[in-house]
Parts: sequence; C-alpha cells; structure tokens
Amino acid sequence: MEALSNKLLVWVTFAYLGATVLYLCHWVIKARAFGLLGTILTWLTLAAHTASIVLRWLASYQLGFGHAPFSNLFESLVFFGWTLALLYLIIEWRTKLRQIAVFALPLAFFSLLYAMTKEPDIQPLMPALKSNWLIAHVITCFLGYAGFGVSFALAIMYLAIGGAAIPQEKRALTLDDLIYQTVVVGFILLTAGIVTGSIWANSAWGTYWTWDPKETWSLITWLVYAALLHSRFMRGWQGRRIAFFSIIGFLCVLFTYFGVNYLGGLHSYAAGQ
Amino acid sequence: MSKNKPQPPGGRIWDFFASVKLSFALLLALALTSILGTIIPQKEHPGHYQELYGQAGGRIIEALGLHDMYHAPWFLLLLALLAVNLIICSLNRLPDTLKIIRKDPREDLKRSPKAEQSFTLPGTPAENAEAAGRLLAQSIGPAQSAEREQGGLALFAQKGAWSRLGVYVVHLSVLIIFAGAMIGSILGFSGRVNINEGGQVDSIILDNGQPLALGFSLRLDKFAVSFYDGGMPSEYRSDVTFLAKDGREIMKAVLKVNDPAEYQGVDFYQSSYGQNADSLTVDVVRDGKSERVELKQDQWVPLPGGGEALLLEARQEVKMGDMYQGPAARIGYQDPEGNRLALTAFKAGAKMPARGPLKFEIADMKMVAYSGLSVKHDPGVWFIWVGCGLMVLGFLFTFYTAHRKVWIVLTPAGKGRTRWEVAGSTNKNRLGLRRLIDRLAGEAQAGQPGE
Repeated sequence: MEALSNKLLVWVTFAYLGATVLYLCHWVIKARAFGLLGTILTWLTLAAHTASIVLRWLASYQLGFGHAPFSNLFESLVFFGWTLALLYLIIEWRTKLRQIAVFALPLAFFSLLYAMTKEPDIQPLMPALKSNWLIAHVITCFLGYAGFGVSFALAIMYLAIGGAAIPQEKRALTLDDLIYQTVVVGFILLTAGIVTGSIWANSAWGTYWTWDPKETWSLITWLVYAALLHSRFMRGWQGRRIAFFSIIGFLCVLFTYFGVNYLGGLHSYAAGQ
Repeated sequence: MSKNKPQPPGGRIWDFFASVKLSFALLLALALTSILGTIIPQKEHPGHYQELYGQAGGRIIEALGLHDMYHAPWFLLLLALLAVNLIICSLNRLPDTLKIIRKDPREDLKRSPKAEQSFTLPGTPAENAEAAGRLLAQSIGPAQSAEREQGGLALFAQKGAWSRLGVYVVHLSVLIIFAGAMIGSILGFSGRVNINEGGQVDSIILDNGQPLALGFSLRLDKFAVSFYDGGMPSEYRSDVTFLAKDGREIMKAVLKVNDPAEYQGVDFYQSSYGQNADSLTVDVVRDGKSERVELKQDQWVPLPGGGEALLLEARQEVKMGDMYQGPAARIGYQDPEGNRLALTAFKAGAKMPARGPLKFEIADMKMVAYSGLSVKHDPGVWFIWVGCGLMVLGFLFTFYTAHRKVWIVLTPAGKGRTRWEVAGSTNKNRLGLRRLIDRLAGEAQAGQPGE
C-alpha cells in the first residue's frame, strides 16, 4: 500500500507538469481542446494525488501506528502540492481563466519534485506530535500557504502579461482582484494556523508563544500580509504594487517553511532528512 | 476655532498616532526587527555571544538587549506603540463609521450614482417599479422608493452596513491578546521541577532561578517510557498524586506530552526525564580517619565526628579533561556551628585538589528515574483564546461581508417604455458588486415576456 502510494506520487508529479504544458499550448496556440484536456488531466491528477495521500494514511495503520500523513517534510510537501492544485482548480472553476495554470501548477510540480528528494518511509509519531491539533494545525497552515502561493503565481502572471501597462483592462482588473482575494484566504487560514499552533503548544509545553524561529517567521509573514491589506484598504494600492507585495509575502512564506529549518528550534521534526 | 470638527487636545500627537502611515511603519518595523531574534541565538550565556561575535559584537548584543530581543525595552516599546496606534486609529474613525451605518436611506434615495447597466423595458415607470422592488428585495433587501421629476422613480436598497464594524472587531481582538500576554507575564509564573520516582516535592524552581512554594505537594508514583517496535519512544508518562499540606491524598493524575494536568490553577506538563542519584554512599575522610555514610537528597544526615550533610546533585559520569573521569557529586555540609558550604566529591584515589575541613569519597551511587515537569500558571491565557477567536470571526466579517448599496432609477423613455438605470456602491469587493448588478439587469430583462 505504501509502495503503491509512492508509485502513484511519481505519476502525479509529472502529470502536473504535463497539465502545465497542455495549458501552455492552450494559451499559445489558442486551441480550446488543449485547455479542456488540461482541466481534465488536472482534476484526474488531483484525484490520484488524493488517493496517494489516503493510501499512505491507511498504510500507516497497517504498520500499527496509524497517523495522519502530516508528520515530516516529505509528507508536508506532498500535502502542499495538493492544496496548491486544489486551490488552483477552484479558481479556474470560478473564473474560467485557464492561463493562471501556467503559473500556479508549476508550484505544485516543484513541491512534489522536492518531496521526491526526501526519504518517503512512514515513521511512527514522536510523542510531541501525538495530538489532535496536528491535523488542524497542518491543514490550516498549508491551505494558507497555498492561498499565498497561488497569489504569488497570479502576481507573477500580472507582471508577466504587462498588467501594469494596461491596468484598466478587464483581465488585469480580474487578476488584481484575485491576487487580493487569495491573499485574504491565505491570511485568514494562516491566522487560524497560528492560533491552532498556539493552542497545541500550550497543551504540549505550557506556553502558547515561545518566539521559536518558526513561530517568529510565521508572525513576520503575518505582519507583511497585514501591511499589504492595510495598504490596499486604507491607501487603495493595487496592480503592480500589490503584485510586488504579494511576491515579497510569499518569499516570507518560503522562509517560514524551508529557511527556518536551518535555524533550529521546536519545529525540528519538520526539517526532514 | 475655524474648523467645524472639534480638535482634540494635543491634536498633532493625536494625528500622528491616528495615521495609517504609522501602522504601516510599525507592522514592517516589527517584521524586520523580529528577523534579528531568529538569527541571533536567544537567552544564551553572555560568554557565548563573545565567542560567536567577538568582544565588541558581544557587547553590542548585550547593550541592545539582542540576547533576549523579544523582551528588550525597545521591542516592547514598538508593541506598545502599535497598541496605541490601534486604539487611536479606531477611536478616530469610529464616529464617522457609525454615522455611515446610521445614515438615513432617504438621503441616499436622492442621489443618482453613475449607472453600470442601462436598458429599456415596456411599461410605465410605475408599472416597472414593482418588478424592480422585488428584484432588490431578493438580492439586497427591502427597497425604498421616491418619485423623481418627469414621472420618474428611484428605488434604493442596501445591506451589510454592520460589516463596517468588522475592522474594529479585529483591532479589539489584537488588544485583547496584548492584554492577555500582559496579565500572563505580570500575574502568572513559569518554572520547572524534577521529581524522583517515589519522591515528592512542595516547591518548584522559577525561570529566574528562585524557588516557589506551591502550597501543596506533588508525588511521582511512577515514570515510564514506552517504545515503538523500531525503538523510537512513543510515550512519556508520569503518574502523579497531588497531596494537601497535611499529607492527605487529593487527586491522582497522569501526565503525558500533549496531556497536562491542572491543580489549583497550576498546570504541570511532561517535559523531560532522566536518571538522578537517589542515594550516595560516601566515605567521610576527616583527620586521617574514614567512615562510610549514606547521603540522601531530601534530608540532612548526621556525620560521624559532627556536622550534617545533604546530597545536592550527583552524576554517574563526569569528564574533566585528563584530570578526572568518573562519578562526581556536590554535597552540602553544615558544621556543628551551623556554617554551611558546598563540597565536591569524587571517587577514592582521585587526584583532585581537596579543600575544606573534610573530604567525601564516592563509594556507591544508587540511581532512580526522575521526571522533569514544566510548571505554569497563566491567568491571561483565556484572554488569548477569546482574542484569537474574535480575530478569526472579525476577519470573516471584515473580508466576506460588504456594505452594498444598489439604486434602480426608472425614467420614461417614450413609446410606452421605461429606461432602467442600475447603479451601486460598496466599501469592498467592487467586482462582486459588479457581478450582482449584471445579474440584476439580466434577471430584469429576462423577466419580461414578449420581449
């Protein structure tokens, strides 16, 4: 079961790359069939991706110490890819803008590709991770990260298609709004992630906040996005400025996720091998 | 005063604290300075910083408080400024917001914002008004109407005026979290205690090194580590009993990682474990004579030849370069006059310099498992959870509800037809309002049979 889950994941990884190519063809050649194929392939890939995660979950029970597959860097990368693909498909369904895939799906592909370099063995949970808050904390954080990730992809797209040159064009306006909407989704879920993490820390260590590097970096990320939202609400920032802001915010997310592993602290189990 | 608005005393300072620029600057300043504390190791020994950053670097770190950055006065000042900024900003805007929420809709009814959708339908304005009112009621709320010149009609509806208060809920939640943190740091305490298996304690060591009497006792009945098949630890478990001052057993509890126990407002968390010396058998060497005594950790034992001794700390294996390798212990000694001093003991024959009126030589050491517990009392923690809950609710309120206003202006267009002009305004999510207006226009035109 574990082997099947891992094998499935290899296919899933490259299927996201394949879907990206289809979407790119759709954009460049403007043939509708490619876009439709891209959408179908992405949905199928997400289904397979889900199956791989569920299989891994079941396999851990077969091994006798069942736990949700959110316990180390490998598992979190796989889940991050899943949240990115899911959020992208929701946006495609709502806006019908298939070009976004060309910027958003590569993030899912790279997340999974990076996971491939990690040890995929299912390990039992160490005592500190044995908590019901693990699932709530990881799901909220990574859905939040996915919101910021898709916002980043949209920001790159906005700058790439020259939204800055024609800010009043309909597609530019839609992209600007989507950059903001996805930041809001990310911001609310990051907040929920920090809160669930605090509740968990309080029951594990007796303090809801210890200024450990990962906690602090999640707060730095939160502050940057809070500044972004204030600049939009109070100063009416949009377009290019918000796009740049969103890119800086996502760099903070990446540092919170990966960079902090080099600084040590309470989240060392998330550092992987 | 030439201005209509009353100027608060010290208007300039007020304006400074009410500015969004300040909020913006503070948010980014907190973000940037916080980075420092994640790069520079926190709460280390001063010598450690001199090793890492050299003499001068170590002194700069010490002077700026970067060794405990998140509690440094300047960092706390930034947080305090943010709190003041939040309060003043909110107070500054709240009256205007309330005025908008309480605004009489009849005033809005007189306005005619620029139409986003415009089309004509058969019938007089009065005949069209019923359909327009029904559409508004379905998607926005009950509509008000007023007559316009030349037989025209205007309809107006709004919803979500209260959503303008969401941002104040969020700001309040931040202040509640700050209050909780302050209450915790002023009225709460945190520390730790190690208990030997079978032993009991009635005090803990606070983080600042001072002892604190609990007012009750805690006994460790059993400590156990269980392992997975592969050898990884799966659970640390302490079975404890809480005892009243008079020794009565009050409550039994099981402490595990992620599963603390609380007694009289004090929380106990499984935090570490290890081996401790339960008793130490030593040869007391004095004036060339040697006698064997068993020392205990929690009681003074009388020594042959006078005085008393207490076991402070013992380790099975200590390495001191080439000089010594083996067991070592610290022993408290009180001479018959009541003077106390601490002595270090090694195994017999150690070539270590001895000082003091007598010498202890370690003969045997009996080890026992101990459980290390974190101890915490935080009366502010419920403020934190209330603040956090309020913040998430406030966000949903702020980001996903909007104060939307929609106007439909009906004017005679000749040939028995009426011109519809649909307009709207909102405090956020303009695209959403745009979609709503497009939908309204679509429904109005589709609802006309025979068109």
